[in-house]
Amino acid sequence: MSDRTAARAFDSVTEADLRERFERTDYVADDRTVTTVSLALQLGQPLLVEGPPGSGKTELGKTLAAGFDTELIRLQCYEGLTAENALYEWNYTKQLLAVQGEEGSVAGRSGSPSDGSRGSSVFGEEYLLERPLLRALRTDGDRPPVLLIDEIDRADEAFEAFLLEVLSDFQVSIPEYGTVSADRPPIVVLTSNRTRGLSDALKRRCLYLHVEPPSFETEHEIVRRKVPELDAAVAAEVCGVVAALREESFLKQPGVAETLDWARAVARLRHEESDEPLSTDEIERTIGCLLKEAEDVSRVDAELLDRLHDAAANAADGIE
Amino acid sequence: MAGDPDSGIERRAGEESVPDFRAARTHVLTELFRLIRDLRRENVDVPASASQDAARALARVGLGDERRVEAALRATLLSAAADAAAFDEAFPEFWHRLRTGLDRIGTAERGPTAAGGDDADGDRESADGGADDPDLLPDADPPEMDGDGDGRVEVRIPTERRRASGDRAAASGDADARRYSAVGGSELVDAATPAASEAGRAAVDRFVDALATLPGRRRRRAPAGPAVDARGALRASLETGGVPVELPRTEPTPSELRCCLLVDVSGSVLDTIDRSALLALAERTASRALDARVFLFDTDLVEATDAVERADGDPAGALRAASVEWGGGTRIGHAFETLRRSAPNAVDRRTVVVVVSDGLDVGDPETLEAGITWLADRASAVVWLNPLAVSPAFEPSSRGMSTVAPYVEGLFGFAEADDLAEAARQIETRGLGGSVGYQHDPRRTASAADGGDSA
Repeated sequence: MSDRTAARAFDSVTEADLRERFERTDYVADDRTVTTVSLALQLGQPLLVEGPPGSGKTELGKTLAAGFDTELIRLQCYEGLTAENALYEWNYTKQLLAVQGEEGSVAGRSGSPSDGSRGSSVFGEEYLLERPLLRALRTDGDRPPVLLIDEIDRADEAFEAFLLEVLSDFQVSIPEYGTVSADRPPIVVLTSNRTRGLSDALKRRCLYLHVEPPSFETEHEIVRRKVPELDAAVAAEVCGVVAALREESFLKQPGVAETLDWARAVARLRHEESDEPLSTDEIERTIGCLLKEAEDVSRVDAELLDRLHDAAANAADGIE
Repeated sequence: MAGDPDSGIERRAGEESVPDFRAARTHVLTELFRLIRDLRRENVDVPASASQDAARALARVGLGDERRVEAALRATLLSAAADAAAFDEAFPEFWHRLRTGLDRIGTAERGPTAAGGDDADGDRESADGGADDPDLLPDADPPEMDGDGDGRVEVRIPTERRRASGDRAAASGDADARRYSAVGGSELVDAATPAASEAGRAAVDRFVDALATLPGRRRRRAPAGPAVDARGALRASLETGGVPVELPRTEPTPSELRCCLLVDVSGSVLDTIDRSALLALAERTASRALDARVFLFDTDLVEATDAVERADGDPAGALRAASVEWGGGTRIGHAFETLRRSAPNAVDRRTVVVVVSDGLDVGDPETLEAGITWLADRASAVVWLNPLAVSPAFEPSSRGMSTVAPYVEGLFGFAEADDLAEAARQIETRGLGGSVGYQHDPRRTASAADGGDSA
């Protein structure tokens, strides 16, 4: 971890400062999240965020980029993702054209990258296609970018091992080109849905943050900020229903993202800023925003709807 | 350790006024390693380098705030959600050991003060600065605690300059410091406690009225419904030559808040408070406020609403007649817990809770925190009356007070009835949501003008 001594752009970010930036971008974070994120910024360590789907992990990365007014570089992981897709590729077409244009000159030019002839080699800067990781290391903005490596658990273990080099030293070696290292390391946020365990080596290099499903009050605050067109009492009812749904044993529990979708749907279907309480019918018609499995939807019957309706009424009373 | 964690810990430790940096640093690291060992015993997979990361993180967040320390250690030591339970279990003990050790290192360096050396009182007087008034209480520092959190912790605070009315331990021979413990013996309420003076009763009444007339969030329906206010209409019509242009309607009046009084009657409080004012407060609250309930607690919590309601000007006699005991140890958290279990309906969101206590809690800090958060969540407001807060040097830095302070809407001094008049004045003018509390007491700012907390 040689970057420890390097100058860190966010060395002096305080919790209050971070809280204010979250506030500005309408991201509702609990104290633990604020402390952990500020530590990650101060210590310059990557942040590994785990939690159930829809709990705002990706949003955290976006919020950091927006809050610090810097570039967000996102690497969405998937099975089969290779280092080439994530780091760099050579522009083969351009290389080929260049070689054909100067027939016979390749052999002498593609030698050692440090012999000074790199400028005219087909393995030079102009033939390099930056992919997210390399872009994050070479970016030359005022502030380091936020590198969001989303759903790292979907990538292969081989890719994870490759990430280690990047994350520990913030530098990569390109055999034909040389070593690229970041002057100012990016803010790295990795998210994982924990579909598989991550390697110890990767976990060791990261600060760990487990995002819990939010409490009723937190969720209410989130809905109020993100869906301001919805009446506050109705927002409480929405959160009450979601909280009640999470008590049920569904295949796929609704996350905060689903709550927001539903709140927007409810707001859209209503006339103006109506503050009528949620009706059973309204819940039934829009339940598709919350439950995404056919089996779960089929379990919604009159009895469950009544319970949800009661939960909504209780929630509305609670914030009165 | 790589990097420069030493300076960080020392710097933070310095902020906490812990002078022996080396001992403090060793203590922090020892406790950290102990925590890691405990976690590994619970099969938590703590990486080898985690101790370094954790130490660096601690150096960043400091050691003063439990929540931040917890977040820092959680982020550095854990790497799976499943390990959180083991961490939750191990952390409170770590925190307790850490703070106890640091407190001990800190107080050891300051020399024999609260623990009772020969020159203890001299030290304290010089530290007090402007403490010329014999009525002012000398002690505002956190008490020294020894023991290991197993419930037998003893606290010693200097009480030589006790209030005349609370001078009950003069014959004990332990003039410099009296021992308070969680298991102290109690005695029947002293029936000889004199009744409060006329001025005292007026001050108590003013305080109770200030609380009892706080507007609740609900509105009470006007007696006749939203009817036309005939008198108002007539009055208004005078301006328009007798023609009623607007018809004013009867306004709904806001409902009043209910009151729940929780009185700490442990030895440490009784020695520092004017008992007659305390009993008058209990009696007047019970009789004047809406649906008031009065509880007394030392190591146990008893309800005294009926006794003080029927007191008829002699609350001490009434309490004695009801076999109520007082003067034991203090377990504030336990008292809140008992309240929650035995009389949860005493507090709801239309209730303002008044706690009279010095906050020198010797029970489990976790229980206290759980209790006060429950109270604060449930009640409309929590007002804390602390007999020690009348001292100009008072800061809520004892363990108990620092735990409860964030949850309290108003923390006032209350050693005698006059202090209640000041609290009432603040509540009347600014309400409980405003900036009220001991720190806004003009008497305090006047006597601590040279550097006191003048808000």
